Amino acid sequence: MRPIVELRPIVEAAAVSRSYGARLAVDGIDFALCPGELTFLVGPSGAGKTTLLKLINREIRPTTGQLWVAGLPAHLVKPSRVAELRRKVGVVFQDFKLLPRLTAAENVAFGLRVVDLRLSDQEARERSLDALEAVGLGDRGDAFPHQLSGGQQQRVAIARAVVAQPPVLIADEPTGNLDQETAWEIMDLFEDIAAWGTAVLVATHNVEIVTRLKRRVLTLVHGRLVRDQPAGQTGRMAWLASS
Amino acid sequence: MKPRFPRRRVVVTVATNLVRYFFGGAARNWVRNAGSTAPALVSMSVLLIMSGLVGLTAFTLHNLEEIEASQASLLHVYLRDDADGSGVAALKVRIESDPRVQGVVYLSKNDALARARTVPGLPQLADATESNPFPASLDVQVRSIDDMAAIDAMVRHESVVDPVYPTSYDRGAYQRIQAVLLGVAIAGFAFIGMLGFVAVAVTMNSIKAAIHSRRDEISIMQLVGASRWMVRGPFVVEGAITGAVAGAVGALVTFGAAMAAVTSGSGALMQFAPGLSATVAAVAAGIVLAAGAGLGSGSSLLSLRRHMES
Repeated sequence: MRPIVELRPIVEAAAVSRSYGARLAVDGIDFALCPGELTFLVGPSGAGKTTLLKLINREIRPTTGQLWVAGLPAHLVKPSRVAELRRKVGVVFQDFKLLPRLTAAENVAFGLRVVDLRLSDQEARERSLDALEAVGLGDRGDAFPHQLSGGQQQRVAIARAVVAQPPVLIADEPTGNLDQETAWEIMDLFEDIAAWGTAVLVATHNVEIVTRLKRRVLTLVHGRLVRDQPAGQTGRMAWLASS
Repeated sequence: MKPRFPRRRVVVTVATNLVRYFFGGAARNWVRNAGSTAPALVSMSVLLIMSGLVGLTAFTLHNLEEIEASQASLLHVYLRDDADGSGVAALKVRIESDPRVQGVVYLSKNDALARARTVPGLPQLADATESNPFPASLDVQVRSIDDMAAIDAMVRHESVVDPVYPTSYDRGAYQRIQAVLLGVAIAGFAFIGMLGFVAVAVTMNSIKAAIHSRRDEISIMQLVGASRWMVRGPFVVEGAITGAVAGAVGALVTFGAAMAAVTSGSGALMQFAPGLSATVAAVAAGIVLAAGAGLGSGSSLLSLRRHMES
């Protein structure tokens, strides 16, 4: 049974800006993400996509504006409480960022262990294998990253990001290093994760995926949110081809 | 209803995870990074060995200074060999009646000889001559060192007092000792401070290298929501291990040097290093060990504050 999806936004940005010196990377953005929503973040290189994801994960602070993530004020949160905020946000990267000396199951368990010391070895392993099973790698728990294909490594990274069941998942170019077929498999996973109530925000350059999935699309250009296209519609994205 | 998780099991699991994560992980990383840690280990060991030895020296110098201070207010009034007993007794009574004087003890020539035999170097002098070369004396304990000159002036021209060497009073002797000790202390602190600076800088660099080599792991830990102490803890423990190993080396050398001095058991040692004992050696070694662990973890913390983003 599909879980009940709350309509109250889990991420809310109000006039959020972020500057690096004189350069404005994100310029007065307003948007909200709701639980269960899969949203694409698109725009040319340097548009501010990665900066926006970093703001949500509180890797950086907004210069101005308010940004609420799972009820926590990312614009105000003290360094000592950043970890608490990050536990509510799963992160997936283009280059997977798996630890090479750990197996797939250990990489996933790593994400659990450092946030919950109450977990025994057995519980951590069981939950890790469950997460790997959910991404279709239940039989590869003992494989090291170098023994896995790019798509499999990205699945492990996704399992690590969601194993603690965060309400928000952000992904920065998660299919950038993958072939188109594998990219579709990864997108299927994101759809499944969103279907279970997680707000998923995916920054991507992949035009085909964005246009065919017909999900909500946020378009950034020069740090400004120039379009917030609702799910079910398709819009012009000619700039993507040239970016 | 979901069964309650046994509290005891939670405590055991958390404790096991903490020990394994902080100490097991730090020890594994310490061994793995032994190459980059070696300079920090060597410099910290040198610092702690020197600190231990300087500390023991400072302890004995402090005891020496206290002995000198008590001896500085003790005036020996040397008596003529042919002084008559009634004259000596009269002088003793007169000195004792002075309110600036705490007490007077008569020391015969035989007593002086016996005492000289306990002082390094003097037994040979005593045995070199057939007669007793040490004079009888009145040992005057003066209440304040400031009154020494006045008491000396009062007694040095008495008829029963030796006209050639009337007293042991040496104006400024104590002040000279104090000045020398102050100079030694300043030089010691400056030396230890310089070594400390080098050791802390080298340790900070080794931790910086460790942070750099594990930056991916750190970044992932931070991104998945590990708290700051979870990220920094192993590095602090790693620094503490470096410091503790260096401290153990320093403690062993300090203890060994002190015990070697104590067990040699010569009278000269007790003369020049008063108060040095096995207990003092053990305490000094313990302090060096603790200082090592503290220095290592402190240097790591400084390095983390400087080189690791939150």
